[in-house]
Amino acid sequence: MAKKYGMIHDENLCIGCQACSIACRSENDIPESVYRLQVRVLGPKKLPDGNMIFEFHRQSCVHCENTPCVTVCPTGASFVDENGISLVNTDICVGCLYCNAACPYDARFVNPITHAPDKCTFCKESRLGRGEEPACVSVCPTEAIVFGDINDPTSKISKVLSQRPTYHQRADLGTEPKMFIVPNKKGGIQS
Amino acid sequence: MSKEVNRRDFLKLSSGTAALVGLSSIPGTLGAISSEQKRFNGSAKFVPSVCEMCTSSCTIEARVENGKGVFIRGNPNDKSRGGRVCARGGSGFNQLYDPMRLINPIMRVGERGEGKWKEVSWDEAYTFIAKKLEEIKEKYGAHTVAWTARSGWTKVWFHHLAQAYGSPNIFGHEATCPLAYGMSGKDIYGSSIGRDFAKAKYIINMGHNVFEGVVISYARQYMSALQNGAKVVTLDPRLSMMAAKSSEWHKIKPGHDLPFVLAFMNVLITDELYDKEFVAKNCEGFEELKNSVKEYTPEAMAKECDIDAGTIRRLAHEFAAAAPKAIFDYGHRVTLSAQEMELRRAMMMINALVGAVEKEGGYYLPKNSKFYNALLGEDDPKAPSLKKPKTPAYPKVEVPRIDRIGEEDCEYFLASKGQGITTLVPKAALNELPGVPYKIHGWFIVRNNPVMNYANLETVLEAIKAMDLVVAVDYQVSDTAWYADIVLPDTTYLERDQEITAGGGKNPSFSIGRQKVVEPIGNSKPTWLIAKELAEKMGLGEYFPWADVEDYRLQQVGDDIDLLAELKLKGLKSFGVPLMLQDKKSVAKFVKKFPGAAAKVNEEGLIDFPKKIQLFSHKLEKVSGTGGLSYNPYKYKEVDELFFINGKSAVRTNGAGANNVWLNNLLSEAAAWIHPNTAKKFGIKDGDEIEVYNKYATQRGHAMLTEGIREDTVFAYFGFGHVSKKLRFSGKGIHSNSLYPSFTGKNSGMDLHVVGVKIRKV
Repeated sequence: MAKKYGMIHDENLCIGCQACSIACRSENDIPESVYRLQVRVLGPKKLPDGNMIFEFHRQSCVHCENTPCVTVCPTGASFVDENGISLVNTDICVGCLYCNAACPYDARFVNPITHAPDKCTFCKESRLGRGEEPACVSVCPTEAIVFGDINDPTSKISKVLSQRPTYHQRADLGTEPKMFIVPNKKGGIQS
Repeated sequence: MSKEVNRRDFLKLSSGTAALVGLSSIPGTLGAISSEQKRFNGSAKFVPSVCEMCTSSCTIEARVENGKGVFIRGNPNDKSRGGRVCARGGSGFNQLYDPMRLINPIMRVGERGEGKWKEVSWDEAYTFIAKKLEEIKEKYGAHTVAWTARSGWTKVWFHHLAQAYGSPNIFGHEATCPLAYGMSGKDIYGSSIGRDFAKAKYIINMGHNVFEGVVISYARQYMSALQNGAKVVTLDPRLSMMAAKSSEWHKIKPGHDLPFVLAFMNVLITDELYDKEFVAKNCEGFEELKNSVKEYTPEAMAKECDIDAGTIRRLAHEFAAAAPKAIFDYGHRVTLSAQEMELRRAMMMINALVGAVEKEGGYYLPKNSKFYNALLGEDDPKAPSLKKPKTPAYPKVEVPRIDRIGEEDCEYFLASKGQGITTLVPKAALNELPGVPYKIHGWFIVRNNPVMNYANLETVLEAIKAMDLVVAVDYQVSDTAWYADIVLPDTTYLERDQEITAGGGKNPSFSIGRQKVVEPIGNSKPTWLIAKELAEKMGLGEYFPWADVEDYRLQQVGDDIDLLAELKLKGLKSFGVPLMLQDKKSVAKFVKKFPGAAAKVNEEGLIDFPKKIQLFSHKLEKVSGTGGLSYNPYKYKEVDELFFINGKSAVRTNGAGANNVWLNNLLSEAAAWIHPNTAKKFGIKDGDEIEVYNKYATQRGHAMLTEGIREDTVFAYFGFGHVSKKLRFSGKGIHSNSLYPSFTGKNSGMDLHVVGVKIRKV
């Protein structure tokens, strides 16, 4: 069976430290002015019970099953590979940027060097081929990111998915992202 | 700004990076070069090393990828860090080809701080420094030159050179950071203290913000504890990341941690929650402690610390119930208060009171080779010990140090000479300190940044201007280098080897130190070489009888070449098995591994502490009458002022982050955290440009309105508002230390990091 790569971002474990963002930049040679991945720390938000929390929003490609970016691409440059990773073939990209406009997650940007749309590739070109996990996963201090093959029931990601409740960003759109989020439950009590 | 730099003409490279010459308009710095011209001449395989982005010194490994970049990750052989690295650590490669990085020595040609420089050769630089040092030696004596070096490896080389030259005034950065808890550990337990966070069931955290300060091992352990259902109670004036992840957050009044701890202790003793058996057997001075905290009831202390008496009682009861899997975290920074010594001592004593020492989930004594080997039998294999290369004796010095450490009556006697009270250097340059018959006339500063990191900028600048010689060694023109006479370009840590270090957690461990991942860029030199070459120029070459770091390492390991080989390959090595003296299972495992250790096991199956835990300090009592614990209210601010406090960001260091584009793009200016109710009073809206000011300084920044802070407090991340104009991101944000008073903590020598400020919209 083909692989289906997915990722979990656990907001309970995330501390918003940006180690993932820097590792991504370093490994994939991302120009200074743009990024494939950031974790936006939002808040603090006051919960109805008085607790205060920060929210951690992973801003990157969520690797949809139903991909608006591929649907709108006139040349086939935006495509999903055999393992479910959403990618851009810059050789046949004409730079129309329909994909950037169509992405409901605002996950694409124009690479100032290639002038083509760029985005998270789960480090396919840089690391997966070497048998390594994506850069963000490999450095995360608190192991808040899990990556793996969802089709393999013995993989770590399948195990975590079976144990923890998760949600998708903008689930209402029916894009069925392969980025799963474990919601943040931690908070504080004010004295 | 960075775009402008990139648009400049690309410089031409001659063969190889070593001959790189910058065409930058700023003398000494690298200047902008194109990505094609960046050569990363180094290992394609991961090389184990140690990070230097902050002082946590986490284990890392790095490799050159496709000849065009360096990827850094944690060393997977280090289980405590799990092969992980933080954002700062991951961005280390970003400074290799930083256009504003220093690659040649520069000498001041204008006034100090005027920013007029010329590039000089290494030989000219050494000659200048050697001549100046000789002049000061003849005029005032070698002891009048202070030497402050970054903690860790740089200290080894430059403290050695300082003493060979004849100065006893050697310092690290500790008095601006962790000194008080190191001193407290020494006084109470006879050593520093480890914390077994991951196994704890209950942790009181007084602003130890490991999720933003990010020490990888601590962050992982705290997260494990939380995952395993531990209760973490954080007391911090601000909703830090730690506070947000904690089970409870209490907004303690800035600078008033001590009254909380004393009241907590009072409850443990009055309500008889302490471990009587443990205290009777292992501690001394309990009665004196009991008397000294008698008056500090929760009711009396509640108004001081702003935590209600009921909460203090509840937390003390919960904590005692969870013991021995309980940690009263003695913290790190946040609000360095007026009584740092009493505060850290009190915190550290609490774990002894509940018997949570040398037990799983509590405190433990770090076990180096000496500690560990002392427990072993004659026939057991022993942990290796590193040797120190033989060097000539230092010239004798007849005068005391400026902090008087080493004198019988010195109030800072708990600090080691290599730590010292570096914050006294500026004060000793301006006035003769009590009992010190001289002033400081020169300052040799290696990878330390007093202009950013020492409280009260005004005093530091005044002192620097009063000196005859200021030398800085750094990889960039730091704020301190900006005011120096001469700046020597250090390599970054990815370009240098450093010697082996030995230490210990639950068992002895060794680290390779640092290993070179890429060849040095430009004419920058590693600190070991700078110290050696300068020594030779000063006629002190005999003090440096090693060819290079590899030679030094060989002298360290002696016959044990295997140790060196393994360290080079894996980066680290531990010896034996983890040991907790007061944990039966752990002791049994230890004896199984080392049968000769059975002789040290008592009838309960435990090993006794090497020395009794001191709950009262006779030496402190003798020197300054501070043997017990007492709370002396301190006026931090006027009634109409707000408290100002600072803390760490995960993407910034205090002293050295202002050139790193990757990190600055994540956080280029730290805003001032202000409560909405407070902001309303001053007509300040979110994002407004504001001034934070007091009698010491006026700082400009932006307001961030948040309910995650006390109404009477303003917070800002430190490491912003850099003053060196040779740093790309200088000037942005609030320079915290300019707002703090010039202060020297009793017995601790620590800076004070709580002060009164006012705010106004610009």
